[in-house]
Amino acid sequence: MNSRRIAANFNANIRGFYRNKATVFFVVLFPILLMLLFGMIFQDTGENMGPLYIQDMDGGVHSEALINALNSSGVFDVKLVEPGTDADSYITAHHVNTFIVIPEGFSDSVNMRFLNRSLPAANITILYDPGNSAAQQKIGVITQIINGMNMAYSGSQPFVGIDAVPSVSDDYKYIDFFAPGIIAMSVMTSSLFGTVGMNIELRQKGILRKLATTPITRSEWLVSNILYQFIMAMISFTAIILVGVVIFGLKPHLNGYLFLFIILEVFAFSGIGMLITRFVRDADGAQAAANAIMFPMMFLSGTFFPVEMMPDLLQKVARLLPLYYVNEGLRSAMVDMNLNTIIESAVVIGVFGVVVFILGVLLTSWKED
Amino acid sequence: MSESVISVENLVKLYGDLRAVDDISFEVRTGEVFAFLGPNGAGKTTTVEIIETIRNATSGKVLIFGMDVRKNRTEIIKRIGVLPQEFSSFDRLTVEETVRYFAALFESDCDVQHLINLVNLGKHRNQLYTNLSGGLKQRVGIAVALVNDPEIVFLDEPTTGLDPRARHDVWDVINGLKKEGKTVFLTTHYMEEAEVLADTVAIISRGRIISTGSPSELIDKHSTSIHVTIKGGMGISSVAEAMGLQWEAKNGGSVVMEARDNEQILEIMMRLKEKNIGYDSIDIRKANLEEVFLKLTGEGLSGGGGH
Ligand SMILES: Nc1ncnc2c1ncn2[C@@H]1O[C@H](COP(=O)(O)OP(=O)(O)OP(=O)(O)O)[C@@H](O)[C@H]1O
Ligand SMILES: [Mg+2]
Repeated sequence: MNSRRIAANFNANIRGFYRNKATVFFVVLFPILLMLLFGMIFQDTGENMGPLYIQDMDGGVHSEALINALNSSGVFDVKLVEPGTDADSYITAHHVNTFIVIPEGFSDSVNMRFLNRSLPAANITILYDPGNSAAQQKIGVITQIINGMNMAYSGSQPFVGIDAVPSVSDDYKYIDFFAPGIIAMSVMTSSLFGTVGMNIELRQKGILRKLATTPITRSEWLVSNILYQFIMAMISFTAIILVGVVIFGLKPHLNGYLFLFIILEVFAFSGIGMLITRFVRDADGAQAAANAIMFPMMFLSGTFFPVEMMPDLLQKVARLLPLYYVNEGLRSAMVDMNLNTIIESAVVIGVFGVVVFILGVLLTSWKED
Repeated sequence: MSESVISVENLVKLYGDLRAVDDISFEVRTGEVFAFLGPNGAGKTTTVEIIETIRNATSGKVLIFGMDVRKNRTEIIKRIGVLPQEFSSFDRLTVEETVRYFAALFESDCDVQHLINLVNLGKHRNQLYTNLSGGLKQRVGIAVALVNDPEIVFLDEPTTGLDPRARHDVWDVINGLKKEGKTVFLTTHYMEEAEVLADTVAIISRGRIISTGSPSELIDKHSTSIHVTIKGGMGISSVAEAMGLQWEAKNGGSVVMEARDNEQILEIMMRLKEKNIGYDSIDIRKANLEEVFLKLTGEGLSGGGGH
């Protein structure tokens, strides 16, 4: 190992990086775009369930109280519909998934029931689209709000209460879930495609043959390449964290484990990249192989949504994928600091990374024969 | 005669059934320019790269500086400089950065500016490699081959694709290397190049060396005819006819006939005088390396293309 050679090669790589718009895009802008995109898509869903259409045929005190309660929950965008409108045609025309009709005489019925507890409850009607999951969720919330009203009106105290405590850090939001996912994915992409691309370029241009006539050893070259890939990973990481913090109010725990996982991931995917270029000699084939490895990994390893949302079989598959352990580990390190998960994931990805990398070193050589 | 610095004995390289190098033996002496001359697919690059330690031979013995190429790669590599065929380098490094990069790989503190000027790239030192023309890229490759002040310089087709001006520049560089006492191992398709530069030429075809020697030795050994080109009036061809020589009419009213020896040349002159045939010019020339080459290989410069 000669540090001058490693430094020279590392320098050449870094120059190649910032002088190439494509690599700058993939390492810096692409992760930022992903963060912005997913951040926007999922930003509001936690608080707001969308519009709720209410047609108030009653116009009495109790209908007003109900509308106020729905409104002040902050969960809906309450939209009032003129009492004269035909509900069915309005629903079709405006693609409405949940529509509340408060019938005429609603307030009177409530008042009557105050006087005589044996009378039936005053009913409202909810027209909803049974195939729409948002509608189901809205009905759930509406039911809760109406239960609250009933308790208040009947003056009873609850028997069973709920204390909901988030199981992850203070206020866990979707951004906390997917920021580690985007980091893991960006590092995978840049290490895998960076290594495949570099190897292919060097071979196609005959630079490998020239390097074979110089004293640089394969391991010196690999060390400088890993160093370079790690710097690329850290650039992506920084960009993602900055966007998360500045735009989406992400509050990540920054700690040594994060860097541990990023280093192990760089080893694992650079190693896979070396093996691909070892066995798939032509450029298109190698790119295709890298894609074939990357895409399933991206969607099955819990990058964008929790693995637990998938069917059992796919969950089992996920546990075979290296990226799953990076996701788990990074998420634990950034969000809930579950040491068991961190250690378990680090061991799995570490062993995998070392094995793949050593295979890569052993199986590739300068000599092309 | 100086000692040999490269010695190749019974070298064979097989690619499947293909005998890319088919039992080749030769020696290169210290300080000479040695040229491998052969058509496409002859086995030049394969042989050279085995000597450079970057390919493995199937069988045979190759010594360089007296060391076996199979066992002493690290040591050998430090003492040779290589311009691979179709050299290419990192697109996004400048000329100067490229030379520095390779110098660092050899841990060499060579004078980078001197090397850049040597190959006439001074004006282009800050240009990115990818923006250079083909000829300039090739010159970067030559500068890079010299960063470790090598004792032997291997140049695999250093002038292929260069314009005549650039080719002469490269020839100057090669002559300069020779003056410095370096051994140069050259491969080329160009007879002229071998003829101008080389002390020893080995003609290689289909994996075999068919003849070795200095350019003039090769010509003496293999040329069977002398070309007599006479430009002038009518009746010149009748002389050739009368003497039973092979002849050919060329553009511009000249006739080329093939004489066997000086006797025949004299006879041609006598007959011209006897018949009072006038002429503008007479050119007498031995066959050149190209003709020898064509005769030996039965192939054109760019012909052949393998087996
Ligand atoms: N790696 C390889 N695998 C299979 N065949 C090869 C390989 N390298 C060379 N060959 C074959 O060996 C023969 C000699 O090739 P080589 O490159 O040595 O020729 P060359 O004399 O350098 O030709 P050129 O003037 O075109 O560079 C060719 O027929 C070529 O196809
Ligand atoms: Mg060749």
